[in-house]
Amino acid sequence: MNVAPLLSFMIWLPALGALVVLALPRERVAAQRIVSMSAALLALAAALGVVFFFDPARAGFQLVESIAWIPSWGISYTVSVDGISLWLVVLTAFLTPVALAASWGTVERQERTFHALVLLLASGLFGVFTAQDMLLFYVFFEFTLVPTALLIGIWGGAERRYAAIKFFAYTFTGSVFLLLGIIGLYLLHGQATGVYTFDIATILASLQLGTLQLDPAAERLMFGLFFIGFAVKTPIWPFHTWMTTAHAAAPSSGAIDIVGLLIKIGAYGLIRYTIQLFPATAAWAAPAISVLAVIGILYAAWIAYQQTDMKRLLAYASVSHLGLIVLGMFALNPQGIAGSVAHMVNSALTTGALFLVVGMLVARRGSRELKSYGGLWKSTPVLGSLTLILVLGSIGLPGLNGFVSEFAVLQGAWRSPGLGWRYALPALLGAVLAAVYLLHMYRMAFLGDAPPELAQAPDVRPRELALLVIMATPVVLFGLYPNLLFGPMQQSATQIAGGTLQYLASR
Amino acid sequence: MNWIIWLIPAFPLIGFLLNALVVRRERAAGILASVMVGLSFAATIAAMVVLEGAPSEAKRLTWTLWEWIRIADFRVAFGLLFDPLTAVMALLITGVGGLIHIYSIGYMHGDVRPVRFFAFMNLFVFAMLMLVMADNLLLLFLGWEGVGLCSFLLIGHYFDRRSVPPGINPSEAAVKAFVVNRVGDVAMLAALFAIFTNFGTLSFYDNPQLGISGYLDQAIVVAGEMVDLGAFGQLPLITGITLLMLVAVTGKSAQFPLYTWLPDAMAGPTPVSALIHAATMVTSGVYLIVRNHTLFDQPASAAPWVLVIGVMTAFIGATAAVAQLDIKRVLAYSTVSQLGYMVAAVGMGAYVAGMYHLLTHGLFKALLFLAAGSVIHGIGNYQDMRRMGGLRNALPTTFRLYFIGALALSGIFPFAGFWSKDEIIAHAWFDARSPLAAIMLILTSAVTAFYMGRQIGMVFFGRPRDQAIHGHESGVAMRWTMVTLAVGAVIGGLINLPGLHWLNSYLRPVLQEPEVIYTVGMGILATITTLLSAGAGYLGWKTYACDLEPRIRVGKEDPLFRYLGDLWRGMEIGWGLDWLYQRVFVRPYRAASVFLSDVVDREAIDQVLVDGTARGLVRLAHGLRALQNGYIRTYALMFLFGVILVVAFFALRG
Repeated sequence: MNVAPLLSFMIWLPALGALVVLALPRERVAAQRIVSMSAALLALAAALGVVFFFDPARAGFQLVESIAWIPSWGISYTVSVDGISLWLVVLTAFLTPVALAASWGTVERQERTFHALVLLLASGLFGVFTAQDMLLFYVFFEFTLVPTALLIGIWGGAERRYAAIKFFAYTFTGSVFLLLGIIGLYLLHGQATGVYTFDIATILASLQLGTLQLDPAAERLMFGLFFIGFAVKTPIWPFHTWMTTAHAAAPSSGAIDIVGLLIKIGAYGLIRYTIQLFPATAAWAAPAISVLAVIGILYAAWIAYQQTDMKRLLAYASVSHLGLIVLGMFALNPQGIAGSVAHMVNSALTTGALFLVVGMLVARRGSRELKSYGGLWKSTPVLGSLTLILVLGSIGLPGLNGFVSEFAVLQGAWRSPGLGWRYALPALLGAVLAAVYLLHMYRMAFLGDAPPELAQAPDVRPRELALLVIMATPVVLFGLYPNLLFGPMQQSATQIAGGTLQYLASR
Repeated sequence: MNWIIWLIPAFPLIGFLLNALVVRRERAAGILASVMVGLSFAATIAAMVVLEGAPSEAKRLTWTLWEWIRIADFRVAFGLLFDPLTAVMALLITGVGGLIHIYSIGYMHGDVRPVRFFAFMNLFVFAMLMLVMADNLLLLFLGWEGVGLCSFLLIGHYFDRRSVPPGINPSEAAVKAFVVNRVGDVAMLAALFAIFTNFGTLSFYDNPQLGISGYLDQAIVVAGEMVDLGAFGQLPLITGITLLMLVAVTGKSAQFPLYTWLPDAMAGPTPVSALIHAATMVTSGVYLIVRNHTLFDQPASAAPWVLVIGVMTAFIGATAAVAQLDIKRVLAYSTVSQLGYMVAAVGMGAYVAGMYHLLTHGLFKALLFLAAGSVIHGIGNYQDMRRMGGLRNALPTTFRLYFIGALALSGIFPFAGFWSKDEIIAHAWFDARSPLAAIMLILTSAVTAFYMGRQIGMVFFGRPRDQAIHGHESGVAMRWTMVTLAVGAVIGGLINLPGLHWLNSYLRPVLQEPEVIYTVGMGILATITTLLSAGAGYLGWKTYACDLEPRIRVGKEDPLFRYLGDLWRGMEIGWGLDWLYQRVFVRPYRAASVFLSDVVDREAIDQVLVDGTARGLVRLAHGLRALQNGYIRTYALMFLFGVILVVAFFALRG
């Protein structure tokens, strides 16, 4: 059921837009904005088209588009979506125009390049989530590094060069392991079946049919290579420091935070590769990885409380959420995996929107230090109320989006035979700590008395209001009707979890 | 007709949305909010009429709007339930809530943010109704956290002030209330996880619309299940679940050891204290236990612990109330103490008695708070009782109403509190055969009467101690609502009077509790209790209105401090739990956070591990002499390394 190469449209439109933007004269800012926004919105339309044609009743890869690339080596340009990647694609498509709009008026120099890089990043992210060929995946995965590092390095704050280099070096190091894993799996599959291919669907089928049987040592080695690559990228504690540095150094408008850093390509890789390909090893390693995840949840939440820089605080909040995301997927049951993917979306929405709020605060006061703020709810009641909704969504208030996915993750972990309440209970404490650090931030910024500089601070402007309302709508919608999220991923989550059941049952 | 039950929470939600988004004027906001709660009350009555038509073996109305969450076998309905237990709670919430809304129109006149106030009051009523009407634990939890949120918002009503009487920072008190409640909420979530893991459902009863089965009837199924605690041996599953629920109750219902947020919650406007922190929200813990009574009825349940916590809290709260100097703080600790009675009652399995006290307390404590608000309002926003004195002449109506409330709270015959409190004490003595609990509760009752006598003496009797204060009586709307509640405080006992058992019969479809057979022994016990209370009340009044009255001075210690010293100080600070938490949790948490951030994260992980590895690689690059200095070179090296490996693999493949 392939109506049109929707996925390819979606992947390449932003890149095309980037080229057009770069071709425009430097001083024609309005035209640049129109072109880049149109490209982003067309990609969003294509993504919604993908949702429309996606069949939620099926588990495997859908809307497959395949062109041979280097046939002799079994490399092809194959893109597709399944229940796991569908919402991450939509999330990327949704956040790209938001990021572009957030940068309007806040990026002073080289706006043209900025837009082009954001669009290139979007193309890369779409590619990561849709690539069904492992080498294609790797190319896109690496490619996203370049625009992100450049965006931080050119438009960032005080530590931008250090942060950009660290971001690049660190995650690139992880990628080396990933590449080794991909090639290793390719060779093992080729030797066992005689078919040399990078296509995941084929490899998966061989694994499930038993034509490719890995001995435990080889499987653990493969698992380890993929895991290290994605663990750094996710990041899983203790590989998280690049992320906090990068968020702290990223431009204050929040545009890069929400697309470049919050979209969970590492966590996605963990599900798609480590868990889906090596279910038995994933079940074997789940307790150890979950310990790291739980440490990450509590450790980052604890540190977030004392951060005086709001962006740093949110960066740690994000690391804490990632702990929950990893815990959920390694629960290895449908609730955990679906909750994990939903939490990727929800965390990106709420934390991303809060990054935008920080950008708006900086625009009013010129500082990211929490102590320069106070009493803003009085002078900016609309901003205060919208921020409160986002804060509550992030700390998991029932009825808003964060709660639903957090609950699914923890329920999954609690009932998982491999983990159980010993893992879920400490992770649950993260919910208290989240309330502590975020309400602390909210109280310092919006409650109490206002410093004289802020007493006359203007409330939200139309562009800001539109941005926040657009971000807050799914926060409420997914909280009240989360089946919108869970429905399409149902089959895929069940299928991936099913792969591990056999192993867990045998224990 | 079952859909009618959705009207009950829908009205306050509409009121909230309109006030939040459209309404800008104080008067319109107050009237809209009050009308919406009034309509909700009417809808409750209508639903009760419909409920009468339900068959007696399944006396409940349910209506599911949509399936809230579905992931494989995990299914939760967004559905409401209306049965007799819900009905009495909804009546209390919308009835007392409606009166408090009307009172607020007068009380909040001229306030800085009246529209915001009424919007959040409506949101609270909505959340509280969701809590008592949810047909499953997860939706109950939505209400459970929702009321906590509204409590946070309304305690922080004066968020821009540094301090409100008696020296509380409102935004700090608001955050404290939310965080302490969250501790309980986390235990609640854990209970939910355990229930779903073992029962496979979170629905209370069978949900016919979605075909989800209920867990309450299956309590016996898991009676033998054990949880392995490793080195700590084994714990029956039921004990674990009910213990977690108990922790949740200590948070929301301000029980020991989590009651510390409630006294500080008095930073909110007085109607908030009356509605949220006396009549409704804080009783949700009691409702939770009553709703889950089949779990608590299991022999292995944590019910004995519930009793212990309840009795302890009743006594601790009452003693702390004695030593307060702020008019609202006395009532706050009194609420803690009375909630202790309710929790003790449900801990003994006297669910009807617990609900009975919940309802009568809702009436007379709301009355007391509103009357205290009338005093505060009438004398120009002072709350320190040392500044008051002799106010019975300036505020005659308020005085009479306050006196009725005090008599009801002290359990004096024949006011409402006498009947409900006596039923709990009688149950402790005769049915639960727990004389120690009964004696503690009788003693607490005497202490209760003493502090109410003290308060009446300090506020309304003696000489006017502050010449700056000129009291004036409140307006019609405020007086009228207080009179209505006062009627309830006088005759509220009727709802479950011995011999009539109305409440018991009404709740029988849910609780199946036998009627209490009244004996002479109970009469004697009741007489002793009420005489003791009357004596203690008189003593409190006499001490503070006559004997020691000359020693009460603004800014000076309470006269009894001279005699009790440190003991008095302990009571004054609520037995020092705040002090303890500050040292055991708050400060170490802050210090550790700084340590983790500055030392562990920045130095150990980032500088030593990460940058150290990077430097090592750079040195490797130097060592190889193949590449020059700098990070970018390192990546190039690594990329090259990767490419070599790729080529090697392909070569090996051949």
